[in-house]
Amino acid sequence: MIRFILVQNRQGKTRLEKWYSNYSEHERNKLKAEVHRTVASRDQKHQSNFVEFHNHRIVYRRYAGLFFCFCIDTNDNELSLLEAIHLFVEVLDAYHGNVCELDLVFNFYWVYSVLDEMFLAGEIQETSRSVILSRMEQLSALE
Amino acid sequence: MFEKTLSDLIQGLRANKRNESEYIQRSLSEIQHEVQQSDMRQKSVAVDKLNYLHMLGYDMNWASFNVVEVMASSRFGEKRAGYLAAEQSFHQETDVLMLTTNLIRKDLASSNVMEISVALNGLAQVATADLAQDLLDDVLAAVGHSRPYIRKRALVCACRLVIKYPEGLREFVPLLKDRLDDADPTVVASAVGVICELAHTNPQNYLPLAPKLYRLLTTSSNTWMLIKIVKLFAWLTPIEPRLAKKLHGPLSHLVSTTAAMSLLYECINTAVVGGIIDVQLPAVDSVGREMDFAELCARKLQLFYESRDHNLRYVGLVTLAQFQRRRPELVAAHYGTVLRCLDDPDMSIRMRAIEAISGMTTRKTLVGTVKRLMSQLILSNTVALQQANAKSDTMDYSESSDTQAMPLVDASGTSMVTAQGSIVSQRSSAGPDVADNPEYRLAVVEAIISMCSHQTYTNLTDFEWYVATLTDLVYIAGADVDERLSERFLDVTVRVRQVRAFSLQMARRLLSDTHLVERAASFGGQKGNNALMLGTAAYLLGEYCELQPANSDDIHLLLPAGLTRLPEDQQGMFVLAAHKVYANWLRHASEYWNADTWEQVRSVTTQMQQLLSERILGSDILPGGTVASRMSLLPLQTSSRVRLLVESLKLVSVTTSNMTDTAPPVCLELNALFKAYELNPVSAAAQGKVPIPDTLDLDTFIGDVIPDTTAKVMPPPSPPPKQRAATATSRQRKESKAKDPYYLPSVDDIPVVEL
Repeated sequence: MIRFILVQNRQGKTRLEKWYSNYSEHERNKLKAEVHRTVASRDQKHQSNFVEFHNHRIVYRRYAGLFFCFCIDTNDNELSLLEAIHLFVEVLDAYHGNVCELDLVFNFYWVYSVLDEMFLAGEIQETSRSVILSRMEQLSALE
Repeated sequence: MFEKTLSDLIQGLRANKRNESEYIQRSLSEIQHEVQQSDMRQKSVAVDKLNYLHMLGYDMNWASFNVVEVMASSRFGEKRAGYLAAEQSFHQETDVLMLTTNLIRKDLASSNVMEISVALNGLAQVATADLAQDLLDDVLAAVGHSRPYIRKRALVCACRLVIKYPEGLREFVPLLKDRLDDADPTVVASAVGVICELAHTNPQNYLPLAPKLYRLLTTSSNTWMLIKIVKLFAWLTPIEPRLAKKLHGPLSHLVSTTAAMSLLYECINTAVVGGIIDVQLPAVDSVGREMDFAELCARKLQLFYESRDHNLRYVGLVTLAQFQRRRPELVAAHYGTVLRCLDDPDMSIRMRAIEAISGMTTRKTLVGTVKRLMSQLILSNTVALQQANAKSDTMDYSESSDTQAMPLVDASGTSMVTAQGSIVSQRSSAGPDVADNPEYRLAVVEAIISMCSHQTYTNLTDFEWYVATLTDLVYIAGADVDERLSERFLDVTVRVRQVRAFSLQMARRLLSDTHLVERAASFGGQKGNNALMLGTAAYLLGEYCELQPANSDDIHLLLPAGLTRLPEDQQGMFVLAAHKVYANWLRHASEYWNADTWEQVRSVTTQMQQLLSERILGSDILPGGTVASRMSLLPLQTSSRVRLLVESLKLVSVTTSNMTDTAPPVCLELNALFKAYELNPVSAAAQGKVPIPDTLDLDTFIGDVIPDTTAKVMPPPSPPPKQRAATATSRQRKESKAKDPYYLPSVDDIPVVEL
């Protein structure tokens, strides 16, 4: 299962965090710093998108200035998760229209809604882009 | 009151970058005021803002109750804000969680689908064992909801609850099994995912579902679900081997036809982990050729680790390491490819490659692989810096001089560095070299050692080369491998008779490296020195000294300047070895006794006595005092051996004080202390195998019973000291209480004054 999801920018500021395991506040802060250190120093061209982290793995992808990091167990399929990250970003893009970091900052609760649609309790829930988008439209109609 | 919305807050933050914390403190106090308002809309905006600040690291636990209030709102937007805040900030110990039980229950039963989903979401995130127990029934009811959207999410939520509250599993599993037959494919996919998660810990329960899962495997085309099913079978196959035969059909079909790399990878992984490749099974590949299933997997796996995409390479190597453990012959041909992966700039890939390689080496390939790994270590920046005499890095080796640092000669006499000269140009110049990472270096050294000592050295043909490699590793390792190396050095020398002479050469070389010895001495018991290795070298020199022509120079090596600063065990070893070498030399010298020999014996003996008194008894750690007192400052093991040596030397010098015709008997016999006959190594379990004789009686007295004279001198055995002390203190306490004017022994004694 997914342990946690972090979206951080290059300076290490967390734009999105979702914890699917029980970590104390102190542990969370430590983990966030560690993930940033591990991921930010990697070279995109020569290195893979998987890093070994404690006894889990981090699957990450860099989009412009943001790192999308998913920490998973070692027995999970990394390649499928890489696809899931891409899907997530695509959905955000389709929903906001050319999304950038600022959009994530100002509308963070929308981002969380999308995240909750796609991932529940550490598992990938919804993989169809059209379904997610229609759901988001329903939600915004209720607001 | 004109309160700020969330956007205002964020904009304000960005505008006040310089005095951010001030601005936040101000906002926090505003929010504190706002959450206590009765207007729900204000509250929810405040909670939203708090949520944002929480993401920046500001605690919001003081507002937990307000968050619950917002969760209870009837307006969906506010409710959602509340739930989101709860998910972000509530922990297992948050006490207001108890208040949420009824609230969530109400939401779960709501007619509004959105409310149900948001409640399910929130519950899955924050569930504690209590909440799980209370709300499981409601969630299970939701599993049967009319809308598939809800069913899907309820399944996953229930999974989380059941993890927190395991007794609920009994009720949950039948429902879960029913969902596999659900009409909506997404619900089925969700059910499969949940089963996969639960089966990880307890696969036995879900074995009966195998037929249904098999049907899904063959009929579905949803990649995500297929991945989950395949993974699930990986857990099931080890406990039910007959599944392997059934599965290879659909699996091979998937392997040959699927375009999705993730699915392909999962199939191969299952085949390996589930043991399906262990059995000979037919398969058909994409062009219709028939072949063994395992072979098909191996071929497809090749696509992964030969790919240019680093991700694929990484996952391919992970599975390869497992694959070759079970069916090594299928992947042996790809040795070269994996070897090339050793030079990949990505450390994770390299580590995986090392893991795979360690199992794949054969007799022919061993030397080449080890050379390649060693050249990585040598050519890395850590070692290159000391060669180029550039500015020192943090490694200790930079202190040693250039000439001493790289005595890399293998058994055939060619220097390793020049032999690998061609590799220098191949090395990538990308930034910081992976080989500088201490974790990596440790892994490399461990791999080298394990490859060579695999199955007690089956792969080694040239032991001298191995010993030389071990010695080289002492210099270039750059990691804390002292214990491993010394253990291996000892092991191979004791086991393999033929290599002992060469080991002695190497040992001598290590000990004559004054820098090495100095470093070991100055770092004492810290890690990073090579004291253990030097100790082993000393031991070997002493133990096998008769293999070499008797040489008194070794004695100087064995009593180095920094002896007293070495760790205790090593000190003892050095002294003992010196003693052995001396005794051996003495015996050889004494066989041809003449005036010259006598001179020699005397001079060497006096030299040793001098060395001892200088280096051990007179060093700055042991100032002044008599010999005896100085000796008592040494660690116990060392001092006893030093004492022995001192006595032997005295004995020899006394008997050789005058020139004699024949050698004094002591010179010939001293060696008998150590070398009366050769002892073979004894297995550690040997003592346990000796049967205890029946007549052994450890309880009866052997001689006369010795009267217990101590009983008359000292008082009879008193109660154990603790009790005695207890009685003493209680007596003391009683006395002190009697004297204390303010102490009253009982309640009745309190004088009550009648007013």
